[in-house]
Amino acid sequence: MRRQLRSRRAPALPYGYRYRLDDQDEVNQNYLADEEEEAEEEARVMVVPDLEEEEEEEEEKEEEEKEEEDSHSQETDSAWWRKLQIVNEYLWDPEKRTSLARTGLILVIYFFFYASLAAVITLCMYTLFLTISPYMPTFTERVKPPGVMIRPFAHSLNFNFNVSEPDTWQHYVISLNGFLQGYNDSLQEEMNVDCPPGQYFIQDGDEDEDKKACQFKRSFLKNCSGLEDPTFGYSTGQPCILLKMNRIVGFRPERGDPVKVSCKVQRGDENDIRSINYYPESASFDLRYYPYYGKLTHVNYTSPLVAMHFTDVVKNQAVPVQCQLKGKGIINDVINDRFVGRVIFTLNIET
Amino acid sequence: MNRKREIYSVELSGTKDIEKTDKEDGKKSRGLKNKCLERKKNHQKEELKKELDLHDHKLSKEELETKYSTNIITGLSSAQAAELLAQHGPNSLTPPKETSEIIKFLKQMVGGFSILLWIGAILCWIAYGIQYSNDHASSLDNVYLGSVLALVVILTGVFAYYQEAKSTNIMSSFRKMIPQQALVIRDSEKKTIPADQLVVGDIVEIKGGDRVPADVRILSTQGCKVDNSSVTGESEPQARSCEFTHESPLETKNIAFFSTTCLEVSAPPVGTATGMVINTGDRTIIGQIASLASGVKDLKTPIAIEIEHFVHIVAGVAVSIGVIFFIIAVSMKYYVLDSIIFLIGIIVANVPEGLLATVTVTLSLTAKRMAKKNCLVKNLEAVETLGSTSIICSDKTGTLTQNRMTVAHLWFDHQIFVADTSENQSNQVFDQSSATWASLSRIITLCNRAEFRPGQESVPIMKKIVVGDASETALLKFSEVMLGNVMDIRKRNRKVAEIPFNSTNKFQLSIHETEDPDDKRFLVVMKGAPERVLEKCSTIMVNGQEQPLDRSTAEAFHTAYMELGGIGERVLGFCHLYLPTDEFPETYSFDVDAVNFPTSNFCFVGLLSMIDPPRSTVPDAVTKCRSAGIKVIMVTGDHPITAKAIAKSVGIISANSETVEDIAKRLNLPVEQVNKQDAKAAVVTGMELKDMSPEQLDELLANHSEIVFARTSPQQKLIIVEGCQRQDAVVAVTGDGVNDSPALKKADIGIAMGIAGSDAAKNAADMVLLDDNFASIVTGVEEGRLIFDNLKKTIAYTLTKNIAELCPFLIYIIAGLPLPIGTITILFIDLGTDIIPSIALAYEKAESDIMNRKPRHKKKDRLVNAPLALYSYLHIGLMQALGAFVTYFTVYAQQGFLPSAILHLRVEWENDNVNDLEDSYGQEWTRFQRKYLEWTGYTAFFVSIMIQQIADLIIRKTRRNSIFQQGLFRNKVIWVGIASQIIIALILSYGLGTIQALNFTMLRPQYWFVAVPHAVLIWVYDEVRKFFIRLFPGSWWDKNMYY
Repeated sequence: MRRQLRSRRAPALPYGYRYRLDDQDEVNQNYLADEEEEAEEEARVMVVPDLEEEEEEEEEKEEEEKEEEDSHSQETDSAWWRKLQIVNEYLWDPEKRTSLARTGLILVIYFFFYASLAAVITLCMYTLFLTISPYMPTFTERVKPPGVMIRPFAHSLNFNFNVSEPDTWQHYVISLNGFLQGYNDSLQEEMNVDCPPGQYFIQDGDEDEDKKACQFKRSFLKNCSGLEDPTFGYSTGQPCILLKMNRIVGFRPERGDPVKVSCKVQRGDENDIRSINYYPESASFDLRYYPYYGKLTHVNYTSPLVAMHFTDVVKNQAVPVQCQLKGKGIINDVINDRFVGRVIFTLNIET
Repeated sequence: MNRKREIYSVELSGTKDIEKTDKEDGKKSRGLKNKCLERKKNHQKEELKKELDLHDHKLSKEELETKYSTNIITGLSSAQAAELLAQHGPNSLTPPKETSEIIKFLKQMVGGFSILLWIGAILCWIAYGIQYSNDHASSLDNVYLGSVLALVVILTGVFAYYQEAKSTNIMSSFRKMIPQQALVIRDSEKKTIPADQLVVGDIVEIKGGDRVPADVRILSTQGCKVDNSSVTGESEPQARSCEFTHESPLETKNIAFFSTTCLEVSAPPVGTATGMVINTGDRTIIGQIASLASGVKDLKTPIAIEIEHFVHIVAGVAVSIGVIFFIIAVSMKYYVLDSIIFLIGIIVANVPEGLLATVTVTLSLTAKRMAKKNCLVKNLEAVETLGSTSIICSDKTGTLTQNRMTVAHLWFDHQIFVADTSENQSNQVFDQSSATWASLSRIITLCNRAEFRPGQESVPIMKKIVVGDASETALLKFSEVMLGNVMDIRKRNRKVAEIPFNSTNKFQLSIHETEDPDDKRFLVVMKGAPERVLEKCSTIMVNGQEQPLDRSTAEAFHTAYMELGGIGERVLGFCHLYLPTDEFPETYSFDVDAVNFPTSNFCFVGLLSMIDPPRSTVPDAVTKCRSAGIKVIMVTGDHPITAKAIAKSVGIISANSETVEDIAKRLNLPVEQVNKQDAKAAVVTGMELKDMSPEQLDELLANHSEIVFARTSPQQKLIIVEGCQRQDAVVAVTGDGVNDSPALKKADIGIAMGIAGSDAAKNAADMVLLDDNFASIVTGVEEGRLIFDNLKKTIAYTLTKNIAELCPFLIYIIAGLPLPIGTITILFIDLGTDIIPSIALAYEKAESDIMNRKPRHKKKDRLVNAPLALYSYLHIGLMQALGAFVTYFTVYAQQGFLPSAILHLRVEWENDNVNDLEDSYGQEWTRFQRKYLEWTGYTAFFVSIMIQQIADLIIRKTRRNSIFQQGLFRNKVIWVGIASQIIIALILSYGLGTIQALNFTMLRPQYWFVAVPHAVLIWVYDEVRKFFIRLFPGSWWDKNMYY
């Protein structure tokens, strides 16, 4: 249409000359109509200036390419010209007055629609964050009762090793050493406070105040600290296994009774394990490590540990061991969750 | 009533539906099938075009005897008969090959979305197999899921099979039509044998009331009449004799067709009609029609095409998204096993499992509603077909008309009087004071052999059963209405002699004593073809006075006669003569054979014209069809003039439109010179149709909006239907005879008459009109259109949530969030909470007058079009996904996992060995605790989708109008649906929250309300959309946002 219009306007004569025409009125009207159409067209184009520009850029590029081709051969030139025309018609179909602009309009509308949806979700998430305290989870009922994990842990809860072959247990030692780096006495003394045992370490004050953490020194673990025996007893067939209770914000053992740990053979002969030493000797998590105030303020919080030193276990056979937490309000018999309040692993020490 | 129950039982106990299996066939091997279809079609056409290859009617008895090596007196010998029986098979129609039930069942199992779900199920099991081979303790989740998917497919398959099993077998009625016994002469003895033992050449005897046991060439009979309506569509009894009267075997009088009824054979000495069997079983005319009917391949119903189209769209989306994300997952270094599980999730999320069942239920609900309005739908999909109908080819007799002759006009005293032709004729307003009327009414009453069957005193006159032919019945009822007890009048005017009507005389005459005891004259009354009656008259009665019949009165008579005849009415003339007492004393004995009394110089009394009047509801119904853009074409075997008259009176030809002939007459031009484009209407006879090429027929159908086909043969009906279908029209055909059954099957929707229709027609049809009333079709159209609109709404409603179900998987793959919604949970939405609401949309009332718009274009107005899919998927669907994700994030955040923490957490989250996973607060979670949280997330996501689906349900009530215009509470079922959604969700969360396999948990009450603002937002957004559509009709917005 545009092209046609232009060609129609091409022989346009000077305005003065037009006056002399007999059918001047008609011509005038036609001219005006053309002007109107043209204006309309301009307006449409202006709705989506970006796209038009893009088109033109594309065209220009193609034209450049075309010119390059030009020098090469005439055949490719005509082919290019045809292609260009097709592209051009796709972008602006003169017959139907439809163009990429329409597709563009759709895209623009979708863009705005999705932008507003994005705004909505942002608003929702913002409101959500307003209602959520960064210090204290809104609900903790799902993470309670506490779960239990042991160290060393490498993908499996089966401890199979041969005392005489260090290769089979070396990775336990490395893992434990690594894990206990954070418990080094020097580090603990530097970062954390020595708080009185046997009572909760309650720190009142604003939520957003930084909280102090109680020391849990590696040396508390005595024979299992790796300080005296760097192999944690693995070299003698008396492995140390550390037990860790999952952190829960605000968790306090009920009625001031510390949570105790007790291990026994899960299935089979009870005498397969003849003795276990616990460190700290109380085999419990001292109350001073509770409550936990959360990651944000309780930065240096060190999870208390209980080390189990299996000093006399039947060798050369798999011994299933279950370590349970004991204490008021502690649940350790959920069927589906084998890590709530208990942990089961097997020891298979070969000599 | 009895009749009705019978028809119902047809529907309920029906067994099969050829159409559907054909459809399944087509789906499976389309290319191959198309070729087959084409070949079959050509074959069928040849069959049609070919005149029946039967010459036996032209042969003499002797030639016949030689041809069939039989003897007319002694019949065949038993040995011969046995040999022929072995050669040609029994005289019964072979039922069409039936697909075995198991194959039909299996076809249901793989149709539609089933294949996709089977793939999903099998992938599940494969995934488990791989898992199991790696780790024997792997969880059984995938096995459950696979089994659930398989169960879903099987259940929907069983449901569809059950629905299919509710349709009827077309052949069953043909089998029923076979007479049980036949009287045959064999070995010179008369024997009664089962009719299926008959062979060609057998000599059979037929009594009045028998069904003709095979195609029979009549050898000897007298006054035999048969009801050929089931073969040729002629509703009047046809006389049969031994003479060869017509080239065409269908027209000649010496052949009686298989399964037609022999109405009467005149009294002894003959008493029976004797005939020779010339065709048996499938080779009979009726057998050929029957095989033609079952040979006509059913077209897919429009709704089946639409649903297939929709299935393709959805399956295409599912498969392409599935494959794309499978590739993405693999290239993101996910394990192939995981990628397979994603694929399953995507498929399950994308496939609306419950939708096809919902559509079926919706259709059957409408079918029930239509049955209440006297439209019995046999094939569920036909419910919608009627709505998209653009051409109705209607029968005249019985459908448009009352199917009984009724006195329409009277002419006496040089005046035409109009009689009431309504159903009860109670309103006779013409002037009855004239003495001429008294004479005329006496002739009408006396010169009539018809009688009411006794014992009907309490029955209204119009409903009384009459013994006699159609016009005599009309006259009897007319006089009964006008004069009171006719039988009493006849008793008082004792009949002394009578000459019954016959085709050579063309008049009927009877001689009576008069009721006046002083008047000893005999009265001779006569009625008959007006010109014959007039010939016998020398005077005419005007205002009770006899006047000589001069030229001007004769002219007046002719004008009236032409006028009445011209409007298609059957005109009878009436005259009488008082015999002088001197010549004919009281004791005179009349001899009708010798005609010892005058039969001329009668006094002409009047004319009376009869017509089968249109049903009173029909004109209105035709107008409704017009405004609904439906072309009504009349196809009748009747005379063109009558057909045109009825067409005009019911509005099929509107008052101001003219045929080419009319224009020619008006302009006084030869017909050839008239511009055919000027004529809106056309009356085409069967003879003209025969000479037309298909192109000419197309042109005719395209150029004329008002068409009447008259004098058409049953086969031509099929040609007309095919012509209409070439115009891309959806064609509805009404019919009642066996001869109509091919056309009924060929039509997009065949409508059989419940009262007048033969069983074969009813079986071939998709729909049965219980009251034979054309107006009921209009109701059907209305319901059909409504159901199409409502199905659109149902599908839009159902598709919307697919995006909300799909997004979780996509985000799970891309962003590694813990899975927001599980596959089984999705199934609980698709097959649980969403089912009743989507059915409830079927009860939605129309938004505007759906009878004021054009029928939808078969190829342009799709059930699922781009705006519908885009709006459902990319607008509302995404909004829903958004709302559900907000709930999901809320649940996780409030439990300790802020959105930032769960990004890309997937691998650790799903690791069974990590039992101390840290959340945003430093808390540590065991695997099971996380799993439980994940299930809580599922439940929350589920509840959010459910809540937003309530909003979706409400917005889908209308497509253009505001909800408040439509009325929020008008459709109560919607609220039942909403309640069901909420109750099911409550039960799942709080009742079954403890069953782990279902993955539901008890959700905190507040999470139920997180999505409520989003639901409101959806509602508001849709109201805005509708507002702009109403504000700018035809605009860009309207085109892209109106579905």
